[in-house]
Amino acid sequence: MPRAIQLTLIVPAILLFVFLFAMFPVVLQADRRLHWGEGFSSVRDYFAGIGNGHSFRYLAGKTELSFWEQIGANFGTTFFYVSIGAVIGTLIGMMLGIYFGVSRRQGLKRFVELTGVLPDFVVVIVLQFLIVYVYARTDWLVFEVASLTRDDPAIALPLISAIIIPANYMLRNVAMHMGHTLSEDYISYAKARGLGKSYIVFFHALPNVLPYMRADLHKFMGIMFGNLFIFEYLYNISGLTMMVFNNAFAHEGYQYSLVVNGIVALLVLYVIVYALQRLLLFGMEKVFAR
Amino acid sequence: MNKTLLTGLTITVLMILATLFGRYLSPHGVDEQMKIHYVAEENTVVAPPAAPGSEYPLGTDKQGFDMLAKMLDGAKYTILLSVSIAFVRVLVGGIIGLILGYYGKKKGRSTGQFSVWSLLNGIPVFIIAWMIMVGISMNPSVSPAYLASLLAVVLAIIGIPSVAVTIQEKAMVVREKQFVLSAKALGASPWAIVRRHIYPSMKENVVILFVQEAVLVLGLFGQLAIFNIFVGGTIRYLDPFLPPIYMSRSNEWSGLIGQARNMFYVYQWILLVPLIGYVLYIVGFHLISVGLEKQYKKKYAKFAQI
Repeated sequence: MPRAIQLTLIVPAILLFVFLFAMFPVVLQADRRLHWGEGFSSVRDYFAGIGNGHSFRYLAGKTELSFWEQIGANFGTTFFYVSIGAVIGTLIGMMLGIYFGVSRRQGLKRFVELTGVLPDFVVVIVLQFLIVYVYARTDWLVFEVASLTRDDPAIALPLISAIIIPANYMLRNVAMHMGHTLSEDYISYAKARGLGKSYIVFFHALPNVLPYMRADLHKFMGIMFGNLFIFEYLYNISGLTMMVFNNAFAHEGYQYSLVVNGIVALLVLYVIVYALQRLLLFGMEKVFAR
Repeated sequence: MNKTLLTGLTITVLMILATLFGRYLSPHGVDEQMKIHYVAEENTVVAPPAAPGSEYPLGTDKQGFDMLAKMLDGAKYTILLSVSIAFVRVLVGGIIGLILGYYGKKKGRSTGQFSVWSLLNGIPVFIIAWMIMVGISMNPSVSPAYLASLLAVVLAIIGIPSVAVTIQEKAMVVREKQFVLSAKALGASPWAIVRRHIYPSMKENVVILFVQEAVLVLGLFGQLAIFNIFVGGTIRYLDPFLPPIYMSRSNEWSGLIGQARNMFYVYQWILLVPLIGYVLYIVGFHLISVGLEKQYKKKYAKFAQI
């Protein structure tokens, strides 16, 4: 398929998927029958509601809110955590990954692998637990454990979690590809020519590791977005995912239009952060080119 | 047999044994509830939750049920389901992947082009499972075992594509090897080549993939539990003046974590006990995977030149 057609088809195809995807809780209900009729009528209601603006209003608890008024702040909050997590996480992960790929110290490597295999919510709960423990022992509150109100948000701990989980993934990936690349013949050739260790690592090995990072970017982003849902929920941050999935079931039942709007917003966020990441990797490729 | 593999296997086998025979050794049954009672010699009233001690080795929950009994009861879901979902994923995904890998066309190395479907990475897997299960899982009329197997089917289907792709990529690499070419020249049928030549040379990868999938499934259980979808169903108590309370019907471990996830201020053992069990189980699997990789590396790998 020519690229132009592919690009024009992208938006309708994705939207179709989102419409069908958001139908699940309507179609599958506790009485074990498929409610296709209700599913399609909610799609019809959505389109009917675009005209009179009803599709862009939702219930939070018992108050009706406008989607457009709420989305800005929530989107901004989520973007703040995701973009910082992505950029700083990539940088830290790459630095440590190079170090781990080169170094022979096994103990630390094993520890990092072990923490990487634990699901993200375990990491979050353990961090919260440690802070409570330290506070109980020493009366010293290192960070807020979670946001209690909107005006007094917990920032440090969510930011740390937003960074370490992508960083950990990046680190393991870079270390693995670094190890593979360093076993190639051109590395021993470069060594035989008398080039310095750090020069070989940064200008012979790293440029050949970066394409793998680029190819792996979608998986990296997938992990980050999964993590986003978990930590916004556990830290009680009023971001995009909290706004959508906390209110998905309001007093009057499932809010189809909110979920559709929310997922579309999430995908927009995905595109923005993906572009940011590509830019970062592009810059790195320019810096470490020979 | 290396030490890592041995440790991992020991942890896993012990856990499986505990699942099968633990309820005969546990001091309290899962239906046995600790009542509020008065101890005359200490002149105190004892009310649940009881802290871990001599009578309740792992303490009780807020309702007075023994944590050890709950853990042993839920273990069959956690352990058997994670292993069987991973098995189905690897079996079905592996067969599809082998077929695709043998017949599929060779693609250039993926350069991370932005295609239509890559955008959907923005929707995490557990949210897909959540959307499917949320209508069915709250206060269900069916039995926990039925609902757990429904979830298992959903999680197995969701995971098959990624397994198939991984196996396909590996199979494509093996397909280019000399021995496959010579088998073809000798007139072997495609099925025989896949079964006798391609599959055996990537058997180790499949075993490692199986263990990793089991860990991923456990992660999904946990993430769903954080959002109140417990394996075997959720009981939701709605109170007009309080936030809703969610309880696991099956005592599955991630469900126990999910329903106690705010317990890090008081009665911490109610959260810590299932969390430690869950983490220990994941670590056991992880050690098996690392141990197998080590074994495998010793046989085939090249070493860093620097």
